[in-house]
Amino acid sequence: MNFVSRQLWGSSGLGFCSLRICSQTIVSRSFASYASRAAPAAFKTSKSPQDGRDIVKPVTSRKTFLIDSYKQLMGSNPVILFVHYNNLMKNEDHHYRSQIKKAGGSLTVLRNNLFSVYLRNSAFPDPCAPIKRRDQNLSHPLLPLFKGPTAAICFPETDPQSVAKVLKLLEKSQDRLFVVGAKVETAVYDINQLSHFKNLPDKQGLQSQLLGLLHILSGAGLVKTLEAGSQTLYLTLQSHHDNNEKDGQE
Amino acid sequence: MITKYFSKVVVKFNPFSKEAKTARLLLSSIPPAQRQLGTQIQNEVLTNASNKAPVIKVTFKDKKTMEVDPTKYTFQELANYFDTHSRQLSLKETIENS
Repeated sequence: MNFVSRQLWGSSGLGFCSLRICSQTIVSRSFASYASRAAPAAFKTSKSPQDGRDIVKPVTSRKTFLIDSYKQLMGSNPVILFVHYNNLMKNEDHHYRSQIKKAGGSLTVLRNNLFSVYLRNSAFPDPCAPIKRRDQNLSHPLLPLFKGPTAAICFPETDPQSVAKVLKLLEKSQDRLFVVGAKVETAVYDINQLSHFKNLPDKQGLQSQLLGLLHILSGAGLVKTLEAGSQTLYLTLQSHHDNNEKDGQE
Repeated sequence: MITKYFSKVVVKFNPFSKEAKTARLLLSSIPPAQRQLGTQIQNEVLTNASNKAPVIKVTFKDKKTMEVDPTKYTFQELANYFDTHSRQLSLKETIENS
């Protein structure tokens, strides 16, 4: 009797087990189907406004953060040198970072794909937004620079002297860290143009030079030429007015 | 890519044109410790105005020189090309050591 009951229990236990396994597989299967069905839904929620923004990736994701930081980087720094960041040893990296900091810049290692995403979408107010490929700027002049390890040296002000200091430092580093291109204000420079740029005086100096030049010229007819247009217009109108008055009197 | 047997690497490229990817990946695939081991690495950045041709030139430890135009090859093809000789050298080394 005992044996039978045990057997019965056993068999029923086994049955229960198999049932549980069955139910588990059913659950997991249904979960899988739910997941596969839910995936586009989840994607949709990530596309729906987050924090007031309509963006591709979640608002807390690293990719969104990096693209936003690249926007900030490009927006707030008028001069950026893009360098080939050839795998440096730790002490070399420390050395270059501190030297660049002394010269008034800062070194940031970039993620190529995310930076290219920013560049392609840079004309739009939010570069993280879902933008169709045909609307993107695929021929941004900086895009070819992001093939291989790249870093950016940013300068918060347009000061050719600090750029010259950094370029001198990079000359010694040879293949470890070398400039491949640069963004100066809105223009894209290659190394030749950059070497011309570093010899310029700073922005204030240039503006004062221009002002001085205008002051000298103003004695020699510049003011007259600028005034001439409005003066002739005034004279013609005046003569027309006089003629009209004469006609009225007659 | 086997870089162990390189004694000198010369890379000239224009970063704004097509060969830049191959050239820069080649430069980055040479481990930094190898500079202390005596491998010379020279690079020259060309511009659109310069009329020099882009080139990648590798001299091996047995003084064989291989020269490639990086505009025509991807990095993987280039690595295979240099590895053919590197493998011969490594084979020779294992035979000598055994």
